[in-house]
Amino acid sequence: MPNIRSVLFLVLLLLSFFSFSQQRFTISGTITEASSNETLIGVTVAISELKTGTTTNEYGFYSISLPKGDYEVVVSYLGFKDISQKISLDANKKINFKLTEEAEQLAEVIVSEDVERLDIRKPQMSVNALKVQTIKKIPVVLGEADVIKSLLLLPGVTSAGEASSGFNVRGGAADQNLILLDEATIFNSSHLFGFFSVFNPDAIKDIKLFKGGIPSRYGGRVSSVLEIFQREGNSKETKFTGGIGAVASRLLIEGPIIKDRTAFLAGGRASYAHLFLPLFDVNNKAYFYDVNTKISHKINDNNSIYLSGYFGRDVFSINDNFVNVYGNAVGNFRWNHLFSDKLFSNLSLIYSDYFYGLELDFVGFEWDSGIQNFNLKYDLKHYLNDKLQINYGLNNIYYVFNPGKIIPNSPESGIVEDQLTKKYANEAAFYVDIEQKVTESLSVNYGLRVSHFNRLGQDELFVYQNNQPVVFDPFQLVYTEATPIDTINPGRGTNLSSFTNLEPRVSLAYTLNKRNSVKASYTRLAQYLHLLSNTSSPTPLDVWTPSGPFIEPQLLDQYALGYFRNINNGEYSLEVEGFYKDIENRIDYIDGADLIANDAIEQVILNGEARAYGLEFLLRKNEGRFQGWVAYTISKSEQRTPGRDPVVDNGRSNLESGINFGEWYNTPYDKTHDIALYGNYDLNNSWSFNSNFIFQTGQPTNFPVGQFEFEGLVVPFFGLRNQTRLPNYHRLDIAATFKPKKNKNRNFQSEWVFSVYNIYNRMNAASINFRQNQDTGRNEAIRTSIFGIVPSVTYNFKF
Amino acid sequence: MMKKIPYYFILFFLTLSCEDVIEVNLPSTESKLVVDALFRVDVAEEYVPVEVKTTVTTSFFEQSEPTQLSSAIIFYGIPLEDDPSLFEEVFSSSLAESEPGSGIYIPDPNFDGDQRISTSILEPGMVFQLIIEHEGKRYFATTTYVTVPPIDNIEQGTNTLFDEEDIEILVTFTDVPDIENYYIFDFDFNEFLALDDQFIDGQQFEFSYFYDKSLEPGDEVEISILGADQPFFNYMDLLLEQTEDTGGVFETPAATVRGNVFDITGLDNINIFDNVERPESFALGYFAVVQEFKQSITIE
Repeated sequence: MPNIRSVLFLVLLLLSFFSFSQQRFTISGTITEASSNETLIGVTVAISELKTGTTTNEYGFYSISLPKGDYEVVVSYLGFKDISQKISLDANKKINFKLTEEAEQLAEVIVSEDVERLDIRKPQMSVNALKVQTIKKIPVVLGEADVIKSLLLLPGVTSAGEASSGFNVRGGAADQNLILLDEATIFNSSHLFGFFSVFNPDAIKDIKLFKGGIPSRYGGRVSSVLEIFQREGNSKETKFTGGIGAVASRLLIEGPIIKDRTAFLAGGRASYAHLFLPLFDVNNKAYFYDVNTKISHKINDNNSIYLSGYFGRDVFSINDNFVNVYGNAVGNFRWNHLFSDKLFSNLSLIYSDYFYGLELDFVGFEWDSGIQNFNLKYDLKHYLNDKLQINYGLNNIYYVFNPGKIIPNSPESGIVEDQLTKKYANEAAFYVDIEQKVTESLSVNYGLRVSHFNRLGQDELFVYQNNQPVVFDPFQLVYTEATPIDTINPGRGTNLSSFTNLEPRVSLAYTLNKRNSVKASYTRLAQYLHLLSNTSSPTPLDVWTPSGPFIEPQLLDQYALGYFRNINNGEYSLEVEGFYKDIENRIDYIDGADLIANDAIEQVILNGEARAYGLEFLLRKNEGRFQGWVAYTISKSEQRTPGRDPVVDNGRSNLESGINFGEWYNTPYDKTHDIALYGNYDLNNSWSFNSNFIFQTGQPTNFPVGQFEFEGLVVPFFGLRNQTRLPNYHRLDIAATFKPKKNKNRNFQSEWVFSVYNIYNRMNAASINFRQNQDTGRNEAIRTSIFGIVPSVTYNFKF
Repeated sequence: MMKKIPYYFILFFLTLSCEDVIEVNLPSTESKLVVDALFRVDVAEEYVPVEVKTTVTTSFFEQSEPTQLSSAIIFYGIPLEDDPSLFEEVFSSSLAESEPGSGIYIPDPNFDGDQRISTSILEPGMVFQLIIEHEGKRYFATTTYVTVPPIDNIEQGTNTLFDEEDIEILVTFTDVPDIENYYIFDFDFNEFLALDDQFIDGQQFEFSYFYDKSLEPGDEVEISILGADQPFFNYMDLLLEQTEDTGGVFETPAATVRGNVFDITGLDNINIFDNVERPESFALGYFAVVQEFKQSITIE
């Protein structure tokens, strides 16, 4: 058991640090923005004499322990004036810093973006951070600043195209991304089937995407972690932020309830109703809205509490024949408590749910499905000294899955009311994560997460012959649904199956010299939930299902190796990373699987495997009037589902051919080449210009190898899966931001963002369909493209 | 019926997006035999309408070509209870091409004795086997006769779905209670619907169908309900998915729709073999014998 040995090693290592003794004192505190008291994440606190330092955590807290002595502490953060303070460290000190924004008119020398900038000494690799300011500048379709669309400009992140939900990280599926909004899981990140993401950029403080080297405090999804923090609100004065755009408008109000102690934030965003009205000649509605709220209260220096919420819905209806409502709701309560100036804790109680409702009047039913979860998290960060920090914590999530309830919508309806069997599960985890500077040039992060998943009893559970819910027809070479031989009624208190996984994580950084470093990481992750989606990108009605008696948890091993270089004193930076990952138990679906309203999903699922590998390059210019980056990724992403082990049945052992005859095939997220260019040029105080270019190898798909007729239907006939590709995807977008001169010396700040999406009007294929032309009777290939050139104007204001 | 939902989403997209016809180079493969042998039984008629249509696949942009068989025969009977591979009494029907070059095979009028299959002999559970020879290969298919309840009523509705021109047809039928039933509806103009009774067991059920084809007042449409067993339902369901799939972001992985006609060349016993080692040994198409009820309506 190598894992046990590594635990033992950790414990020994810890003991050796505790026995370490020298007279040390601690400086700790919170760093906030002076004008609003908003805490700042990732602020650098440097001790020049010792060439050491730390950064503030997610709650703006920092702590560093140093030998007795006199030091100069330098606090620096993007867009803010540095603070330099001499201290004489002869006792534990609490120092709260308040940073002031670098005034706009002084911005002759444009500040560099520290947060997004590369820290070559930290072992953390495969992470991309984006400031909300950057996100707001990136040109997007219809001018609606968008967190998720901005991520696509980073290496290793792709999507299925304009109108597709979610994003794909390093060849992973969209359901393998853990999306956290103030630590609460968001199950669907898109509005309007992927046109916009559900996050209102005005309410967001900071986002971070972990593509690999994922610290052990995170778990539950195998591909990436997207962590989004909402702002706390201004506790000094009431402020309004908003914007008027081509599709949606937004307004956010924040201000003090008790000055300097309690702040509130409430933001709303809504698209205009009847978005598609001109496009239909019937009565229809299509719109979305979302609300972000937060109350933060500082009880005293050692205790703060936060209450935050998110509620979003998409609404569609056509002639009242088809009514569709779906969205996320999230609420959480958090309590930050300082046990000592070295021990920071955060307790979170989180409720999150995803609801999907549908009414089809012409068939006569209503349909509700969704997932709810109750999450308790307790995290501690222990700042032992300037070389060692230990994070540890607990997490327990209880899930209720509603795969669907069908209700007749009128007394005349022939539909019989039916509740598909609800499923229940509990996921518990414990983790330790150690950040340690071993020597001047070697830093290591290592940790272990132990996760335990219980699939709890449910009202009805089918039992199958040989425990096989899917049977293989060796004659027809197809997998079909097995007929249950019995139905049992395990009580809710029973445990249908349980899984325990040890998830070790290690990453290390070795600094070669001031400019160069190499980093390496290994990550093991377990994912217990699966999104049942048989399409290239998820649809809003896809349902989540837990691992259990027939579905194994997905297990990932990821290895990454990188080279990092700061060029010309940090003016440029270069990151090169290679990764290899391997996922066991990636579910695959039998041909013709019906995933919706299926009460026995195990009958259409087989456990397969997936793998991906690639090389990512990121060259950034971090300073000057012109800033930007070039990202290039070359990668491969594949999966396969071989036949199961032969079962001896009636004295004969049944060989199986597997899905796609057991051959590896490209996943829909296999994009061989992915190029993204982003540039921002500040011409003067009034005008700045942005542009981005994206190129992605066409998405793998299936083109027919032939056709045949059956009962008058012209049926395309396909070969092995995903052997052809759509044409390459590329487009160029530009934007210009104008800040009126009169902004100067007044409270009301405004800006205009003019943008043109897809400026050379590339008809990128969202799909190519093959069908018979009804008039000529001939078969043809039809390309569907979503957006051609789209100009737009957005007006943003703040006062 | 839930399967159609992604299709409605796609319609949303299509209104936002634009479509154009493009040239695509398609991969090609060896041509395969296609057998279209769906016998729709009207029990009020004297004979089963036996007609086996054979073609070979072509590349996607070409028209399919009829092909000729060296022989075709149907065996049928009630399987023995203790050995379902044997019949109580074996009946047979030899087939011959109706007109040279047509690729359509019907009971051989020149054979000794009447080769037609009488509807009076049919009963649920009767098994039919089709054995054909084509270009030196022997193919085999087996299917079970499935009955179906009649359509109770059809009428034209007034609702529209996406367009004021949409024609709504309300179809009512009564599901057979307590057993799993599968239905195929043929709405004419090559529009089909596959339906199972998961949510409507034993109910009189009315549902709307909106035509893809644009219909004019005065047009007469004929709607049929066809019985299906689970394999045939799965086949039609997948077939319809492949023809309706508008692809793109909601595209499901394309699957070769494998029917129930297999290449058994060189195999001496059809009851024990598997195809795992010979995945390409199959013909496309399906052989099924099902009951059908029809009703017509004139569009107003």
